Amino acid sequence: MAELVLSHLKKSYDGKQVLHGVDVTLPDGHFVVIVGPSGCGKSTLLRMIAGLEDVTEGTISIGGIVMNDIDPADRGCAMVFQNYALYPHMTVRQNIAYPLRIAKVAQAERDRRVEEAAAILNLTEYLDRRPAQLSGGQRQRVAMGRAIVREPEVFLFDEPLSNLDALLRVQMRIEIKRLHKRLKATSIFVTHDQVEAMTLADTLIVMNGGRVEQIGSPAEVYRKPASVFVAGFMGAPAMNLIDASVDVDGLVALDIAPHLPVAEAQGVAKGTPLVLGMRPEAITLSFDSSRGLPATVDLVEELGGSRVAYCTVNGRELAVVLPPSDERYEGREVYLQFDRRAWHLFDRTTGTRLDNLVQPRASTRRLAEA
Amino acid sequence: MTTEAVPQPLSAAPARLRKKTAAGTGLNSAAGHLVMVLMSIFCLFPVYWMVATSFRPTNAIFETSLWPTTMSLDNYVYALNAIPIVQMLVNTLVVSVVVTVIQLFTGLLAAYAFARWRFPLDKLVYTGVALTWLVPFQVVMIPNYLLVAQMGLLDSVVALILPHFASALAILLLAQSMRSFPKEVIEAARMDGARSWRILWEIMTPNLRGTIASLAILIFISTWNEYFWPLLLSRTPENSVIQIGIQMFMTAEGNQWGPLMAASTMASLPILLIYVILQRQVIQSFMKSGIR
Repeated sequence: MAELVLSHLKKSYDGKQVLHGVDVTLPDGHFVVIVGPSGCGKSTLLRMIAGLEDVTEGTISIGGIVMNDIDPADRGCAMVFQNYALYPHMTVRQNIAYPLRIAKVAQAERDRRVEEAAAILNLTEYLDRRPAQLSGGQRQRVAMGRAIVREPEVFLFDEPLSNLDALLRVQMRIEIKRLHKRLKATSIFVTHDQVEAMTLADTLIVMNGGRVEQIGSPAEVYRKPASVFVAGFMGAPAMNLIDASVDVDGLVALDIAPHLPVAEAQGVAKGTPLVLGMRPEAITLSFDSSRGLPATVDLVEELGGSRVAYCTVNGRELAVVLPPSDERYEGREVYLQFDRRAWHLFDRTTGTRLDNLVQPRASTRRLAEA
Repeated sequence: MTTEAVPQPLSAAPARLRKKTAAGTGLNSAAGHLVMVLMSIFCLFPVYWMVATSFRPTNAIFETSLWPTTMSLDNYVYALNAIPIVQMLVNTLVVSVVVTVIQLFTGLLAAYAFARWRFPLDKLVYTGVALTWLVPFQVVMIPNYLLVAQMGLLDSVVALILPHFASALAILLLAQSMRSFPKEVIEAARMDGARSWRILWEIMTPNLRGTIASLAILIFISTWNEYFWPLLLSRTPENSVIQIGIQMFMTAEGNQWGPLMAASTMASLPILLIYVILQRQVIQSFMKSGIR
């Protein structure tokens, strides 16, 4: 069994720290996705687990064994690289069989495992081709085949889909998920694509600036982001984040509409700078001037199944998800109404989530009532 | 709702917009080809003249006709009888092949170390290797001669090979190619369990065929054409190389142009053969580096 434990893991290059102490326990068989923007340290973390980067401080243990000084080949990990990293001079068969050849696995057993992996990945008819004769998706499958035959305890995927076109990316995503369900090995998948992260993960690790921002299921991370960063990073279109503060009555008031207090913030000092988050799908748009916050629609993006309207309220842009329709909104005056159950409150100074938001009392005025 | 496009009258492009020109057509292309033809003639004519002269009889050796008016193999027969030319060709071939293989072998090992490993003073050592390339052979000739003499290897084929075990050019070229080799492929091999030895021979070397072929040709030709070091060491024609043999037709009494050209033609053939065999690899490597 391969429970993977990262303890106080730090990494520095020439004295510059890029990972600031990662503490994570990944249960056996979980599909874990590490997501974050470029340069957040996610690939460095994966490469440290693989043994391709040295550990500056802390420990990595797989199945209860500390792996810090163990050779990459002996950690029980197999890695799928972003640009496939296939051996160009070898056929697909030779590529997949290479780790077995090095491990001196008997020829018959080697053939059996290669054939089996090829069958799982629909590569049987390409076994005698070279990588240059394959499409991007096929090359990626060969890279996965090379990982599968090793029968590793942990699969490591370093942005494996980022070189594929949009359609192939979706197909491969589904294939990887199916493969995981079949093999049930602990898998760690690094990506900067939040759709990949949400769809693949059992557990999601959101990273930023060398730190873990949040660990949880995709639904938890989406519904209850732990920080302003997570709130803004997860979700497309991104969550609307509006500066707010606590007014004299202890109510949270938006900076763009101070006369419209939205909820009570218990235990938060008056004047505390806050950020209020609202998902674009938690805002509705109407032409009914009797209710809601007045706004102007600047732009509407057509997504087919839905539309995204970008509205301006007192100089601040808010995204609103609309159902599909032929209604023309651009340039029109509209009124925004908010689903008060979907508000997220953050401390603007620390960026952390505040769960002090109490839903509007009867006395809370107009906007909340909308 | 439908929109109907109203057809607009088309107008000719204004004169300020230049017409696109297809590359490689017209006058430019013809001029380019003319230059290439002239340069080819310039390069190939001496070779052609060598071959043509080798077939002229002695009394017609200074004829200026483009092709010999009478053909004769006398120069070849004379050259083969005057010196042990076959033995010399074999010696030259052995020396050239062995030096090429050894320099590639040591070059690959050293280049891998420079390209893949970080060790104390690695950059300084690399610079040192690069500097040895700039040191002329004449500077190390005497120390090398003394060493070989002390080892009792004068007038032997082994002594012709010994000072050429490593080449700075080979190390520099191979190290450069290895540095541009995809890092992920090497990391994938490490994950698969390959150590440095396997990574060098099973992963990198097969993918550096273009560079290795170009380098092999360069080393082979320069060793084949080497004159000074064999001249210093050789005492007997049987232990000598073809370049020394050719020089034997240049005497104080005058040059024997016919046999000299015949021997030179025979000395050139293996080089041409090697190029014909490996030229596809060489051209491929040049094309690849151009595309990248």
